[in-house]
Amino acid sequence: MAKYLLLIAALLCAGVANADNSKANAPVVVDSDGFKEPLSKLKFNPGLDQREFERSTLSALSVYDPLEEWNRRVYHFNYRFDQWVFLPVVDGYRYVTPSFLRTGVSNFFNNLGDVPNLVNSLLQLKGKRSMETSARLLLNTTIGIAGLWDPATAMGLPRQNEDFGQTLGFYGVPGGAYLVLPILGPSNLRDTSGLAVDFTVEDAINYLNVAEVSSNHPEVWILRGIDKRNQTNFRYGQLNSPFEYDKVRFVYTEARKLQIAE
Amino acid sequence: MLRFLRFAALFGGLILSASALAVDIDAASYGYPLTNPFEATIATTPPDLRPTLPLDEDINQKDRSLTLRPEREFELPDNFWAVKKLTYRIATQDKPAPLIFLIAGTGARYDSSLNEYLKKLYYQAGYHVVQLSSPTSFDFMSAASRFATPGVSKEDAEDMYRVMQAVRAQNPKLPVTDYYLTGYSLGALDAAFVAHLDETRRSFNFKKVLLLNPPVNLYTSITNLDKLVQTEVKGINSSTTFYELVLNKLTRYFQQKGYIDLNDALLYDFQQSKQHLTNEQMAMLIGTSFRFSAADIAFTSDLINRRGLITPPKFPITEGTSLTPFLRRALQCDFDCYITEQVIPMWRARTDGGSLLQLVDQVSLYALKDYLHDSPKIAVMHNADDVILGPGDLGFLRKTFGDRLTVYPLGGHCGNLNYRVNSDAMLEFFRG
Repeated sequence: MAKYLLLIAALLCAGVANADNSKANAPVVVDSDGFKEPLSKLKFNPGLDQREFERSTLSALSVYDPLEEWNRRVYHFNYRFDQWVFLPVVDGYRYVTPSFLRTGVSNFFNNLGDVPNLVNSLLQLKGKRSMETSARLLLNTTIGIAGLWDPATAMGLPRQNEDFGQTLGFYGVPGGAYLVLPILGPSNLRDTSGLAVDFTVEDAINYLNVAEVSSNHPEVWILRGIDKRNQTNFRYGQLNSPFEYDKVRFVYTEARKLQIAE
Repeated sequence: MLRFLRFAALFGGLILSASALAVDIDAASYGYPLTNPFEATIATTPPDLRPTLPLDEDINQKDRSLTLRPEREFELPDNFWAVKKLTYRIATQDKPAPLIFLIAGTGARYDSSLNEYLKKLYYQAGYHVVQLSSPTSFDFMSAASRFATPGVSKEDAEDMYRVMQAVRAQNPKLPVTDYYLTGYSLGALDAAFVAHLDETRRSFNFKKVLLLNPPVNLYTSITNLDKLVQTEVKGINSSTTFYELVLNKLTRYFQQKGYIDLNDALLYDFQQSKQHLTNEQMAMLIGTSFRFSAADIAFTSDLINRRGLITPPKFPITEGTSLTPFLRRALQCDFDCYITEQVIPMWRARTDGGSLLQLVDQVSLYALKDYLHDSPKIAVMHNADDVILGPGDLGFLRKTFGDRLTVYPLGGHCGNLNYRVNSDAMLEFFRG
């Protein structure tokens, strides 16, 4: 019996080895200069005339974007706003606050953000994630003193973002038209409505009384905005391409698909 | 007597050649974990084998910009507003210190991840650091390049030299003791030509110059890179494009992991997972990234020079104009197409003709062979499995640089630059 199993296993392995059409396992030949010629390890298409790069890229470029002219103008507005207002303010913020305070501020707002994360995990019936996010909220609000510390992450419960746009996507709502929002950046019709819902929910739940306080004190909103920018690594111009708009559009669309699928 | 002389010559030759042997790092003692050149190129060194570096907020640095070509303010369309000035990043020490210039690789900006890494490394070791964009970078082409047709190394070096002089003029109070120069990939080739130019201009008198993974024959390198998108990739069919293939793998990877976590170790971890990419897929990915650089270069050069190959010369472009149709056209142009359609015609017109072979000779390291051979201040670090090299290139480096060449057995293209052994050697070279 065992012999048969072995035989079958060997046959299966051989099948796998045969199916592997690459030359990955070919021995490395080193020439007299010591050069290993890495390209010799690759299997090329014989005519060197495949157009896969072009095909993939052209199809990736077709994102539904009926408001493109408007979007591009907003993109440039955001770029300028970022360079002339947002980033200088963030730099000033980093200059005047010690780093532990900034971390505290980020943790505090992230803890608030765990409320919509929880709501949306529940809406998507993600049991494990809901439990984890509830545990995060409980731990961080109590031991973490209203969220100023983040002991949950240290205990192996990382933050897991879920917003209403993702919930809509989870139930099959398509993204709709691509949209660049002033200051907030890339979005689409679905995610923009999701954003509005998340804000409303947060306002209704009024967790830690922050929503109520910030309606009287807009500076809380400003601080939240600055903190958000401080936590976001993206810089306009970073992709260093005349086609940055197209690339951001593609990356945003795909990143959202990935977040929804995950 | 004659025989004796001949013997003496032979002996002398043997001794000289023995003393000028390149430093070959032994694979066993090197300890670099990634034996696959493509994996090394994409994922670079696993985080715990990298050197410890200072945080961004502990570095006294700022971005400054230079107006080098004021006429471009009027020549370039509105949506180029952000690149009408050339931005660079300068990190300064609060005491007199040597200054090191870093030149980025193909299509990369001053703040490319490798430039950032090199900045932290040298800043920590007590240097002022100036990070510069590559002459092939979109911002450099628009704001600093005279002809906006990068590829002719000598002209690129002239542009770069002006930028360096302007940087110095903009920071007159910075106490600089000596000037050093380094660059990676195409930036290393630029550094070699800049060093050569500096021998006659004498603005900086670079004390030491380090070339990291330079292309030797520029044409071999671009041919290799163009070829990478021609690999036979398993899993691509009429309904799945290459990007979909990779994104599906990434999605499955995150699903198995349970959450999305973007960090330094992601690529390394991904390659250890079940969803890892094959050699051909990785090659395709590297090739894709270079094809996008080629598209950017071809589009920008064509637009600035009003050549009409991609953008019609009088086409009105505002901030709202969709550039997608031009991207569609530009992405069909690889490096070879860019050289043939834009560099060669311009170079012929400016220098009275010549063939592709002559151009290749002029723009590659071959052009500086004697200079590099006789300049003890210039050294090279390269990898035996670098994808931008062809057969014979390492031989050229061995003959030209002798013991100033270090060949690492692994690392792919620039993948081992952030390995601790390499970073120590890089610091040691400038210290010694």
